[in-house]
This record gives sequence, structure tokens and C-alpha cells, in this order.
Amino acid sequence: MSEALPACIADFDGCITCGDHAVELRVVSVDEARGLAVCADQFGASIEVDVLLVAPVDPGDRLLVHAGTAIAREPAERRGPASDRGAGPPAEVTP
Amino acid sequence: MKFVDEFRDAELGGALAREILSTVEPGRHYKIMEVCGGHTHSIYKYGVDDLLPANVELVHGPGCPVCVIPMGRVDDGIAIAHEPGVIFTCFGDMLRVPGADGTLMDAKAQGADVRMVYSPLDALRIARENPGREVVFFAIGFETTAPSTALTLKRAKAEGIANFTCMCNHVTIVPPLRALLDSPDLRLDGFIGPGHVATIVGARPFQFIPADYGRPVVISGFEPVDLLQSVQMILRQLRESRCEVENQYSRVVPHEGNVRALEVMAEVFALRPHFEWRGLGFISQSALRVSDAYADFDAEVRYSVPGVRVADPKACQCGEVLKGVIKPWECKVFGSACTPEHAIGTCMVSPEGACAAYYNYGRFAREREVV
Repeated sequence: MSEALPACIADFDGCITCGDHAVELRVVSVDEARGLAVCADQFGASIEVDVLLVAPVDPGDRLLVHAGTAIAREPAERRGPASDRGAGPPAEVTP
Repeated sequence: MKFVDEFRDAELGGALAREILSTVEPGRHYKIMEVCGGHTHSIYKYGVDDLLPANVELVHGPGCPVCVIPMGRVDDGIAIAHEPGVIFTCFGDMLRVPGADGTLMDAKAQGADVRMVYSPLDALRIARENPGREVVFFAIGFETTAPSTALTLKRAKAEGIANFTCMCNHVTIVPPLRALLDSPDLRLDGFIGPGHVATIVGARPFQFIPADYGRPVVISGFEPVDLLQSVQMILRQLRESRCEVENQYSRVVPHEGNVRALEVMAEVFALRPHFEWRGLGFISQSALRVSDAYADFDAEVRYSVPGVRVADPKACQCGEVLKGVIKPWECKVFGSACTPEHAIGTCMVSPEGACAAYYNYGRFAREREVV
């Protein structure tokens, strides 16, 4: 996106940066030494995310990311074996 | 983690709407405040308020950080942006927030190097790539965003990036809630608590609301089923004469919050003695500044900040909207002189703002109602 274009347009899905809004992303690769991870959204777009607040993370983990920083991670009891985390629906949650 | 899917289930939503209908007492009017701008956005986007009985009213609180920033702080930021050699970075919302004499977008048009970033890390990257320039990050947001800024300042210090500073406008959620509860012109029955702020601070900071003011709080997620369930939980507390903090968003919010985030915030920030909030005035200990240990990265130390104080435009009633005293459409300039394209008030600038959320999603339903 051009830096001149305001992020907040009428059909934008909330403000992911400064509002109290966060997005779910999946970890693709981890740079443990720097506390960073490349994460992707459901459409495949990827960004670099600071994961120091939720470390350690592994590829396949799902994170709640706000302003480029992961603030929550999928609870361990809801995570399957590492081999199951790359694809498929997550565990059932009853609202 | 399922943050989204089943929480948009129409059948579940319908069942909750019926439960809400059976929980309310006929003849009683309920006013419930959603504190967070993200909740306001979801309520209008998904038409959650259309599923509630007429006697359950949702009041939109001060939880949009862009909406509560006073015009003077924008002018201070613009003054720094015009400093020679400065690259001024901020989130997209801030570009269009009006100060007394234009916006950061206007400053960019006048020649200032103002750049939009998606995270503080992006701003730090710009500083690494431009060692001959000074990069300032305009930090804004509640406790959800503050850890991101704090971690970035720690990185800057660790890497010795001397050309990076932060103009800190981070605010805290509890003091304005207390100010609202002390306001004599406000009557509320309960609060929908901010889910992602609570992810950081936990549930404990909200205990004062039931303890000191006798109002229930339900910390809520952001999907329509989350919000309906939270309303139902508040109504159930009222019906059972209970008053406590409940956590509807337990799939994300741990009771103790994110301890690492709180530690890094305590290291990098310090409380300001007071801070001005748009529509609410000065509130004690309601905002953060860069701590003395990180003073080298504090833009307000490095630059001479004018400290401008500006009265809000008289036509704009953002203050009353933020306090929940009036609805967005009751403002004199809503949808006429003030629109997202030409915002007078900050509540119309950010999609988290009650006016913009209502303008984008709610006004058509209301037009149908009026007809």
C-alpha cells in the first residue's frame, strides 16, 4: 500500500494498528535470536512480527497480533501435535 | 485458536438474542457501555444493536485512542514533523486527525517527510535505513499497543540506534473509566470490558468497577456472538443481583494478563502526572511517557515541543459522544459538515470512532427506522 494512502477507509476491517483490534496470524518461520517471526494471514500475506511477549513459538502456531507484536498465543491445551498445526481446522471451541 | 469462525454463527447469535429477550425485565431501561472502539466498530458492522430489545441501549465509550487525543498533541507532532531532517512516522489513522492548523497529511503536502507505518518496528527499520536522518515515531494507543512501542524502544537501545525517538501518547484505560463513573450526567448499568487491553493487563484492574461503583463488567471478544453473549452475561448479573468482573473472552484473556508485557512497559514507560483527553479534560495518571532510563529515545526531550493547548471546534460534540451522553447522530454536524472524508471531530476520523462506525454501517438502518 502506498504510504500516502490513509489506512482508515470506509470498508477497512477496523483499525489494526492503533485501535483495540488484533488479527490472528499463523507463524511461518522463526528467528529466535532476534525474537521475530514471519507470520501469514488467512490470505497468505506475510509480515514480520515481534514474538518476545509470547515466546517460544513454533511454525504453525497461531498468534494474536497487534501493531506488529504478538500479544497472545493459542493456548497449549488447544494445540495439537506440531505435525498437525500446519493445516486443517483448529480445535472446537464452544462460545 | 479460534478467534473468529464460530463466533459469527447466525444460529448461536439468534439463540443469544432470544436469551437476552427473556432476561430483561419489562419496563426497565438498560444502558451498557462498550468501552472499546473495536467493540463499537463490530456492533455497527454486524448490526448487533439491531438484535437487542429496545430497552437495552449500548453506549459508546472512550476506547478509541485516536478519538481521545487532544488537538494540541497533534499540533505538537506536526511541529516536530517540520523539524529539518526529521522523518515523522505514525499509524494511518493519525494522518487525518485535525490539529488546530491542519493534519499530518497537510504537513506532508507542505513538504514534511511524514510516513505511515503499520507498527513501531517499521519505524525502527526506517531509522536503520536512514542513519543520516532523525526518525520520530508518534506512539498512540492503550495498553494493547504500548508493549509494541516498549519492545521497539528496547530494541533501539540494544542496537544503539541513536537516530530513533518516540513521541509517546499512550494512554491507560482505568483512569478515564473512573472519570466516567464519577461523571454526574452519566447513568450506566454495566460495562463491556476491552478484550485486547485485558489481554495485556488482565482482569484485575477492572475489579474497582463492581467494588467501588457497583456495576458489572464482562470482558468481551470482538465477534458478534462474543458481544451478544457479553450483553447477556451483564443482564444476567443484574437480574441475579450479582456484580462482578466476568471474562467472556477467556479463550484469549488470561486473568493475570501478559506478565512479560507489563514488565517491559514498566521498564520503558512512566506514568504522566496528568494528561488531557478530548471531551474528558485532564485526567490524573492516565497516560504514559518515556521513562528516564530511555530519555535518549524520547522525542519530547530531544525536540522543543510547543505544548499547544487547543479548544475543540464548537460545532463538534465529540466530548459528549465519548462520554456516551449523546449518540453520534445527535451531534449537530454529524453526516453533514462532519463526514469521514471531511472530519471535524476525531470520532469521525478513525473507524474505531463511534461517529465513523455509525456513519459507515449504522445510518442506513436508522434511516429505514425513521421512514
